[in-house]
Amino acid sequence: MTSDIAASSAAAATARTDALLQVNDLVKTFPIRGGIIPRTVGKVHAVSGVSFDLAAGQTLGLVGESGCGKSTTGRAILQLHRPTSGSVVFDGHELTTMRTRALRRVRRDMQIVFQDPYASLNPRWPVNDIVAEPYLIHGIGSDRRDVQHRVDTLLALVGLNPEHRNRYPHEFSGGQRQRIGIARALALEPKLIVLDEPVSALDVSVQAGVVNLLEELQERLGLAYLFVAHDLSVIRHICDRVAVMYLGKIVEIGDRDGIYTRPTHPYTQSLLSAVPLPDPKAERQRRRIVLTGDVPSPVSPPSGCRFRTRCWKAQDICATEEPALLAHGPGTRSACHFPDTS
Amino acid sequence: MTRRELAQEKLTQEKLAPHELLRVAGLSVQFRTEDGVVHAVRDVSYSLGRGEVLGVVGESGSGKSVSSMAILGLLPGTARITGSISFNGAELVGAPDTALRKIRGNDIAMIFQDPMTSLNPVYTVGWQLAEAYRVHHRVSRRAAWSQAVQALELVGIPQPDRRARQYPHEFSGGMRQRVVIAMAVINDPMLIIADEPTTALDVTVQAQILDTLRRIRDETRAGIMLITHDLGVVAGMADRVQVMYGGTIVETGGVDEVFELPRMPYTVGLMGSIPHAGQVGRRLTPIPGTPPSLVHLPQGCTFSPRCPLAAPQCVVAEPALVEGGSAGHAVRCVRWAELAGMSDPQRLFLRSETGAGTSA
Repeated sequence: MTSDIAASSAAAATARTDALLQVNDLVKTFPIRGGIIPRTVGKVHAVSGVSFDLAAGQTLGLVGESGCGKSTTGRAILQLHRPTSGSVVFDGHELTTMRTRALRRVRRDMQIVFQDPYASLNPRWPVNDIVAEPYLIHGIGSDRRDVQHRVDTLLALVGLNPEHRNRYPHEFSGGQRQRIGIARALALEPKLIVLDEPVSALDVSVQAGVVNLLEELQERLGLAYLFVAHDLSVIRHICDRVAVMYLGKIVEIGDRDGIYTRPTHPYTQSLLSAVPLPDPKAERQRRRIVLTGDVPSPVSPPSGCRFRTRCWKAQDICATEEPALLAHGPGTRSACHFPDTS
Repeated sequence: MTRRELAQEKLTQEKLAPHELLRVAGLSVQFRTEDGVVHAVRDVSYSLGRGEVLGVVGESGSGKSVSSMAILGLLPGTARITGSISFNGAELVGAPDTALRKIRGNDIAMIFQDPMTSLNPVYTVGWQLAEAYRVHHRVSRRAAWSQAVQALELVGIPQPDRRARQYPHEFSGGMRQRVVIAMAVINDPMLIIADEPTTALDVTVQAQILDTLRRIRDETRAGIMLITHDLGVVAGMADRVQVMYGGTIVETGGVDEVFELPRMPYTVGLMGSIPHAGQVGRRLTPIPGTPPSLVHLPQGCTFSPRCPLAAPQCVVAEPALVEGGSAGHAVRCVRWAELAGMSDPQRLFLRSETGAGTSA
């Protein structure tokens, strides 16, 4: 069954050779060590066969609840976690088999922005050094003046005052700190940025500013984003395509409007119906699908369809056969034996 | 009846109005720190009735949590609290700790954001629940235990008998938050203060917890004070809403009025900052700048440095909370009427700083 999915997505990947990033059947497991003599006693199946591609200048949203493997997917693509199996082709290079030194060169073109703007910046470094570090590592910039000029341009680009370059991270607010993280990611003019929950730690009024900044930068610099988030309304705002993950697998993927207006997978439907809207009247009338129970443990995921333990449509086939990711409507594919195609 | 008697009766009726549970008047909280005096809460007044859900919305540092901690007397000794908090007729500000202890967890219960730190990891869930009951009731251990199991059942935990014998780490995040809610309702409180009860949870679990809170409200008729930064949660749960900024209430009213016809530029800005379906393909409209420091508050209206409608009179004095438009809808803005006349007030924030190209 897994090979079927791989085959179908491989076909999809070859059909779109213009993709900047092609991920095929990506698997990442983490060993669990235990016992008196430490040895591997089990495995956490964080990502179990994820395939998608991303074109230059586009945004793909990876959305799902905590523990669904969305962040691990982002990091496995950048080889920050080496994938257990599967392939990641970025800009024509296969990354999974690449050596560290070669990888470093490719990493210029792919960067990451982390969730926590407090933990991801070195508190002992002034902003200037934080943003200039990528240039030093990669030996870019003819002299100190040139690097200084580049740093100032970057700070202005993300909406910070270059005169504040000698300040330390603690002197900035959360939103400004996230802008510093974005400036650092932009330093090497990457083609792809993995945004790992870039706005979830920020207050709403500040969050909007950072979302706008990301959109403007994409238009100006033609960046591709892999936007990892749990906030469905932010994803809807910024993404061209959306992949919904559940327990290490993509359950539905497709263009934004298809996912949000005609979701066919029961999990996507329940996820969308659970988001509270800031509109009291709509909230009172809305019919909510409240799922029972919790996400099962990724140490021993359910057989067949991983969502079946919480699904109201589940039947015998769901436990024995894993559903393939198939097109059930225009623009989207979902992995369900009983998709809602009405 | 003489006029005086009539007035007296009206007064007692107001005081003992059957539905009024909590009345906060002129509450201020200050902290002395090395950097100066932090004005965490400034002149906050409101009331809350039985079976009513009051949503308190604000960003970090708006004073929303501190004002609720003051009700329970949970603030550190360095806090200077002035004003009045009257709960069910009793004054809580300045009340001795012994009196507060009788109320805390019994008549007023609290649900915190992080369920893991609200539970003791070395005792079973049932033991902790039973203890919460025994503190306020003279009953046998066995009777308290059965109360604990019942409370777990009330919040929708399957197999409450078995689960009561388990430890907090054996519960998932959502289940743990249910345990915390069970602990809050075990003594059948009149008032539940829920401080960001669903912030740490996933959306599908959040929906379950909000459902549970709604059911508790209907079954126990407790008043709920729901503190959150999520306008969506407030829209779905609250009857009335109170928007806080810079330590004070800037807008309050029925949830329908405030969401449909916001009269305070800050509320308008807050709503424009949330991405929603109708906005796809358009830029969001963030509020420029950052929330004020509670040590050095801006002159006049605390929102004026970020407000697109700010006029010279706004920096002279802080406006009072005045009724704006409909009954019960109050707003702290001198230009609310102009805002009310606009067809699409969110456009106000459009021209402001959006990030790229501009300098902070």
